Amino acid sequence: MGKKDYAKPGEFTTLELMAVCGARAIKNGEVVFVGTGLPMIAAMLAKRTHAPKAKIVYEAGFIDSNAIDIALSIADSRLGYRASAAIGLIETLGLLLQGGHVDVGFVGAAQIDEYGNINTTYIGDFEHPTVRLPGSGGGNDIVSSAKRVVIIMTHEKRKMVKKLDYLTSPGHLDGPGARERVGLLGSGPSLVVTNFCQMDFDPETKRIRLASVHPGVTLQEIMENTGFDLLIPENVPTTEPPTYEELAILRAIDPHGIYIPRPEQSK
Amino acid sequence: MVEAPVEDKRITLKEAAKLIPDGAHLFWGGFGFQRPPMAFAHELVRQKKRNLTIYTCGSEMDIDILAGAYVVSHFELAFFAIEGIGLAPNIQRRIREGAVQIEDYTNLAMALRFLGGALGVPFMPLKSMLGTDLLAKSRFRAKKAEVITCPFTGEKVVLVPSVRPDFSIVHVSRVDREGNAQIDGIKGEDVEGARAGKKVIVLAEEIVDTEFIRSQPDQTVIPNIYVNYVVECPWGAYPMMVYNYYDYDMEHVRMYYQQCKTEEGWQKYCEEYITGVEDHVEFLTKIGMERLLKLRAKKPFPY
Repeated sequence: MGKKDYAKPGEFTTLELMAVCGARAIKNGEVVFVGTGLPMIAAMLAKRTHAPKAKIVYEAGFIDSNAIDIALSIADSRLGYRASAAIGLIETLGLLLQGGHVDVGFVGAAQIDEYGNINTTYIGDFEHPTVRLPGSGGGNDIVSSAKRVVIIMTHEKRKMVKKLDYLTSPGHLDGPGARERVGLLGSGPSLVVTNFCQMDFDPETKRIRLASVHPGVTLQEIMENTGFDLLIPENVPTTEPPTYEELAILRAIDPHGIYIPRPEQSK
Repeated sequence: MVEAPVEDKRITLKEAAKLIPDGAHLFWGGFGFQRPPMAFAHELVRQKKRNLTIYTCGSEMDIDILAGAYVVSHFELAFFAIEGIGLAPNIQRRIREGAVQIEDYTNLAMALRFLGGALGVPFMPLKSMLGTDLLAKSRFRAKKAEVITCPFTGEKVVLVPSVRPDFSIVHVSRVDREGNAQIDGIKGEDVEGARAGKKVIVLAEEIVDTEFIRSQPDQTVIPNIYVNYVVECPWGAYPMMVYNYYDYDMEHVRMYYQQCKTEEGWQKYCEEYITGVEDHVEFLTKIGMERLLKLRAKKPFPY
């Protein structure tokens, strides 16, 4: 089996596949805005495979980071290793991002709706919330102004909802033309990566559409775990599994399994 | 040539916290795990300050402690959590009790609000928040943000109110006694935040001779003109990190998070590490030299 051959089911975990999907969404030479967790791993993987010229920006101020150790915080000193600059938020979120220099931004979500609108602030009613989540941070800024946005999240019915408890970051709002109408700069979410599938957005309706199903996952499973009406095209391909090369690099990036527990470390 | 004598703005941590009256509004420096004014937070708790309002972008264990001890009642911010671990446990509880209220903005919005305050203009424009509940819903501000049509181009722009807090609190890498401050690594929103406050207190890992600062003035990010008070405060962000100085102590942070899931656990932590010690030095002594030295940055790594 060659380095470029696809790994077989059982040879990789779902989190590894999600990281690989995220990495493949990054093109060589792009400016990538990421947070910690899976997006950071995905960006590091892209840089070490097909996108060595990608420039990774962290909102705390680290620009073109070349971190070799896994960071726990967006402001983690680890991200400063061989960075080209360490500045601040006005630089990253203002001048770089709002200034139009960021090609793709990665965000997570506690809830999304069928237009890719994102909630990271409250679960429950605004007046009497059941859980207070961390809030926007730079999430709203990224989703507002990056040229494209990739959402990485777990696929659960309570997270893929008809109506958000709170709209923190703007997806395609209520449909075609809405982002332009309210004055947003970026073109919004273009890809959603979950533990079941990849989803993109129908250009006509701006609604979430199934794009590829991860190996071993059934359509039934996806529909049962989605709270909104998912657009399902006629022929949906299976997600390309990780290659052996991608897996080897991925495991070297996070050797202690901080964000991606190793196959032998997970159940 | 006669050189002007160097003005000495140094005060102690205790004296600095005493300057803050109940009900004061503070800019709170540091970003995420980087350079939070943790020692200052501890001292505010020891001095039983009440009803403070804090403005910050993203803060973590430091503001969770301030909420836990009922020091802060209002936050205007973009993000809070214990990153990589979970939700901030004390703030979560205090919100449920109604003791803490949060007005949500984005990181860019908060950073611009500080820049606006520093520039002496009443608001700043930005292109975030549009079309979302960040615009539609407010918690306690009568006016949180406003969408206008740009008078020059006709495009939609959000205006957010500038902030001029009573005090700006920042923890930096090094400062001289007259208040020239240098920050290694990322600055977060501290460059603007430090200039927004009516009074500015700079805490620093080390006090250096003014000749050191003046031999590398390009490294100074907060000139003395803005600074009113200087506090020498080594390990002042522990158990969080300071770039080029020390790493975080995740074992301590995880212990804090686990313990503070219950009110009793938080009370125990507060008594053991904050109110039960006399000052910052006694806190560090309790943590222990051996543990602290293990966290020291190993060059060329800044951690």
